[in-house]
Amino acid sequence: MKSNFFRFFLFLVAAFILKNVHAQGPPIYTGTPILLGLEGGGVRTFGKYISKENASAYVQPFVVPYNVMTKFQIGGIVPFVSKSPEGLERKSGIGDVAVFAKYLLWQKDGSGKTFRVLGSIKETFPTGNTDGMPTLGSNAYQTQIGLTAGYVTTKFGIYGDLGYNITSNNLPDNLIYNFAFGVPLLPQKYPPKQLNLFLEFTGTYDTDNQRNNLFIAPGVQFIAGRRVLFESGVQLPIVQNVSEGQKTNFIFLFGTRILIF
Amino acid sequence: MKKILFLASLFTFMSIAELNAQTNIEPSKNQQVSVKVDGLACPFCAYGLEKKFKEIEGVSDIKIDIDKGVLTFQMIDGKEVSEDQIRKQVKYAGFTPREITFSGTKVKIEDGKS
Repeated sequence: MKSNFFRFFLFLVAAFILKNVHAQGPPIYTGTPILLGLEGGGVRTFGKYISKENASAYVQPFVVPYNVMTKFQIGGIVPFVSKSPEGLERKSGIGDVAVFAKYLLWQKDGSGKTFRVLGSIKETFPTGNTDGMPTLGSNAYQTQIGLTAGYVTTKFGIYGDLGYNITSNNLPDNLIYNFAFGVPLLPQKYPPKQLNLFLEFTGTYDTDNQRNNLFIAPGVQFIAGRRVLFESGVQLPIVQNVSEGQKTNFIFLFGTRILIF
Repeated sequence: MKKILFLASLFTFMSIAELNAQTNIEPSKNQQVSVKVDGLACPFCAYGLEKKFKEIEGVSDIKIDIDKGVLTFQMIDGKEVSEDQIRKQVKYAGFTPREITFSGTKVKIEDGKS
C-alpha cells in the first residue's frame, strides 16, 4: 500500500517535471544553501504533531535567523514542547534551546542557476525540563556540524543535507541525512505568488547502536508574497529501527516563514 | 550667385545647429539601466536583489525577470549610478553581475569579477 502510494507520488512529480517548471522556494524539511530573502533568512515557526505507538507530542519551534553578512548567518531556535505519553499526564514547556551559524563555502552562479554549498554548526543546550516523565528535553549538550548543498535552476531544485550530531551524557551520536526535490505548480512571476510541491526524504542513523530511520516527506508550500509563505507536510516512516513501542506512525507539519530583517 | 551662397550657408548652419542640438543632449532624466545577473534562480533571491538596489539613491521602477536573469531600473532626474556601484550591489545581494547596459551601451563583466 505504501509502495503504491510512493510510486504514484513519484509519477506525479515526474509529470510536473515534464511540464514548465521554474524556480521554487526552500524545502520544508531539508536545509537550503541559499541564505537570501525568505529562502534562507525568514523567521520561521511551525507546528509539528508527532504520532507514535505509545505517545503523541506537539512541538512548535521558533527559528530566528539573521544574516550578519551575505555569506554568514547566525540564529537561534526556541522550541515549545508538549508531550502526552500513554498512561501519563501531559507535560508542556520550553524544550532544548539551540543556536546556530551558517557560512557559504562555495558558490557557482550561472544564467538562471546556482550551485551552493553551506557549512553549518548548531549547539543545543539542555534547557528542557527533565524532572519526571515525560521529559521536555534531552538532558544533554548536542553539537551538530553539517553541510548543505543545493543545485537550483529556473527549472528545478535539488537539495541535500549531511550532518553529524555529537551528544553528551553517553547518549548516542547520529548521522543526519536529508534530500529534497521541489517543483512549482503555477506559472512563475515576480513578485511571487507560487504553489510548490516537494518530495523529501529525512533520515537519521544512530552510529552507536547501528539503527537507521528513514522517512518520506511530501509537502506543499504556498508563497503568498515577497515576505511570507505557508507550508505543510507529512513524514511517513519507510525504515524504522527503534525500541519496542516507540515506532512513529506519522508526523504532520504546518508552518509559516516571514521575512522581518 | 550670392543668393546661392547665402542659402547654402544658411542650410549648413541649420544642419550644424541641429546636429549640435542632438549631441549636446543632457544626461537622460530617466536613464534606463539593465543588469544581467547570474545565480538568480529563486523568487526570494529576486527580493534580496530588489532590496539591495532600493538602497541606491535615485533608483526607481525596479523590475526583475527571473527567467532571463535581468534586473532593470531607472534613475530619477539628475541622479547617477556607476558601473562599480551596480557591480558591488549585485555582489552584496549574493549574486554575480554579468553585464550592465546603460541606455543601450553594454558593459560586459569578465567572469563576474568586480
